[in-house]
Amino acid sequence: MLSATKILRRTPVFNRMFAVDESDGLEEINSWPALMIVTSFVWLAVAGLLGVAMPLIQRMDLGTDLYYMALTAHGAALAFPFVFQIMVGISLHRAGGCVGKPVSGLLPALIYLCMNVGAALLTVAILLGFSVSLVMMYPLPVVGVGNGQWSYGTLVLAFTGIGLVLFSMIVFYPVQMLKIMFFGQKRPDLILDERSINDPGMLGMALAALVLLIMGTPLLIIATYVLVALYGIIPLGAVAWATEPVVFQFAFFTFAHNLMEAMALMVISGVYATLMLYLADGTRQLYSNRLANLSLWILLLTSFSSFFHHFITLFPNLPATLAYHGNIMSWGTGIGAALSIFTILATAWKHGLRMSAGLMTVLMGFVIYILDGASAVVTSNVAWSFQLHGTMWQSGHTMTVLIGVSVMWMGVIYHHYPVMTGRMLDEKLGYWFISLFTVGAVGAALVMLAGGAAGMPRRFADWAQGGWMVYGDLIQLFGLLMAVGLVLYAVNFMKSRQIDALSESPATAPEPAE
Amino acid sequence: MLDSLFLSGWGAFGMVLFLLIPFLFVFFYVVFRKSFVDSNPGTTDAKKYVRLEGMWIGLVVLVFVGVNIASIGYMPTVSTAKAATSGQDIIDVNFTAKSWVFDFAEATIEVGRPVRFSGKSLDTMHGFAVYHPSGKVLFTMMLMPGMEKPTSLIHTFTEPGTYTVRCLEYCGIAHHEMRDEIVVIKGTG
Ligand SMILES: [Cu+2]
Repeated sequence: MLSATKILRRTPVFNRMFAVDESDGLEEINSWPALMIVTSFVWLAVAGLLGVAMPLIQRMDLGTDLYYMALTAHGAALAFPFVFQIMVGISLHRAGGCVGKPVSGLLPALIYLCMNVGAALLTVAILLGFSVSLVMMYPLPVVGVGNGQWSYGTLVLAFTGIGLVLFSMIVFYPVQMLKIMFFGQKRPDLILDERSINDPGMLGMALAALVLLIMGTPLLIIATYVLVALYGIIPLGAVAWATEPVVFQFAFFTFAHNLMEAMALMVISGVYATLMLYLADGTRQLYSNRLANLSLWILLLTSFSSFFHHFITLFPNLPATLAYHGNIMSWGTGIGAALSIFTILATAWKHGLRMSAGLMTVLMGFVIYILDGASAVVTSNVAWSFQLHGTMWQSGHTMTVLIGVSVMWMGVIYHHYPVMTGRMLDEKLGYWFISLFTVGAVGAALVMLAGGAAGMPRRFADWAQGGWMVYGDLIQLFGLLMAVGLVLYAVNFMKSRQIDALSESPATAPEPAE
Repeated sequence: MLDSLFLSGWGAFGMVLFLLIPFLFVFFYVVFRKSFVDSNPGTTDAKKYVRLEGMWIGLVVLVFVGVNIASIGYMPTVSTAKAATSGQDIIDVNFTAKSWVFDFAEATIEVGRPVRFSGKSLDTMHGFAVYHPSGKVLFTMMLMPGMEKPTSLIHTFTEPGTYTVRCLEYCGIAHHEMRDEIVVIKGTG
């Protein structure tokens, strides 16, 4: 038995929500992904509670230190151990089942351990006072030690955690994906739904794994040097080149930006794959594979250098021409998105849809993602960037892209869940979840963008200062809607029923296998 | 018209709605219709799809190119270069930022005269955002420590008043208190 299966079995709640079905011989592709997905839900719960707490802390004047702690912990839990981990779980399951390769051995264990232990260490550091918002504010983590905001030990603890998370995302996960897709023996017994790499449902996953590995390597090298110096193994002076803020910042953003784009590539691929399975005429054909793949290629190429848009307001230290380049590349990703919109709608029109809670969730995730795309291209325009950079607009954009991507995955789970556990989720509850959650997410996103338009700063513990509290209250309101939606989503897993025990006609249920 | 589009956060918000609302309308129409009203395969002619595809891509490219060309004149990178070469007398305002204060060199800022704001950070990342007395952000700059040259741009104020300056890059536990004021007076002619 795989250690993932043991953990799933022995952990309370996990064993109710995601006990993998061991009778079907698919443990090797089910267990690790299931464990990753259910663990990501724990981080989502943490992030969600903190997210709802943040406006409350300001409204009730509970202290600015507490606000910055909640802010840092919220971002840390949401971005990596939730969104990234849920993506890892589902994409490994999809990749394994599509090419017939096991997700077992050392690599999945390393991905899982480094991600969760790393995120836990970072969380402990945050509770000890390491309030940096996100590490991208470098050199704040180091400066904060110098002016007594937190201790050196806390810094080392936090960077150790971040280092582990980076190894999980930049090395172990991409290597595992590439290993599954391009190397090793195919095992017919593990094939759920065979797909070639040219299939739009697969292409994005391969591209994304390569992007993470390639664009992440410089940051990994720099982060490793810094970490080794922090441990005192080499003198800090020897890594002066790596601790130079401009070096760290550019290495960080080439990765962080492309990380987001990689997640988008991967999830759009997932949307294509899922959509094909829920067509009314059963043809399992997109409107056009070529157009679908073109959208992925455009997204890939334009995203590489669009990260310059993070530094537009550094002018003239970022030359105007690179600012404009980042501007145009960002709008170029919009062309890719426009092609995927057309593909999805034309596919629906041509083949009809067999609507289900899972497909609805995927499509609403796509709507949220497109809303985010609109906010992202607008703020990437050089003229607008000078008014919006550093405002709540950016927080709205970050939150919305993370939510959009994860909701699409949460929809894809409806399709994978029966394969993993032999159990079914309730459709009606699923519709309730996505309805409440979409209203909450779209509402919160628009309010945050509006706050940014009104000059409300992001990562700012005093909204009352400029009369921005009303935006905070509205964010709270929509945040609560999202929270209720998520509770329903979790309840659905707790209440899931054995497929054999179902008496409904199979026509109303999604196929148990892909 | 273009001024209020490109020189305000609300203009940006309007642009998001302009991109979003038609999308939502069409998306929900197609999805609802093909799921609940008539999920039969469409009978639309293949040629029509191709025509629609071309029209859609053309429209998107047109909007994208149009917006980004129209915005060029409103980019502070462009207006700064224009002001710097205009031969006008420029008021220099040099400043530094460190946790959690700004430090300005003495300068008198007048309406109608271009002001070159040049700033450096002495410790971590800081921002320098100038807020109009009405609360609207006029522009924001990012200050990265360790840079040889300051972050810099030229802005010409059109109204006298007391403008608030805020740091918009999170810089630690007293970030929200990193605030200052600049006074703009009526020109002497
Ligand atoms: Cu600051």
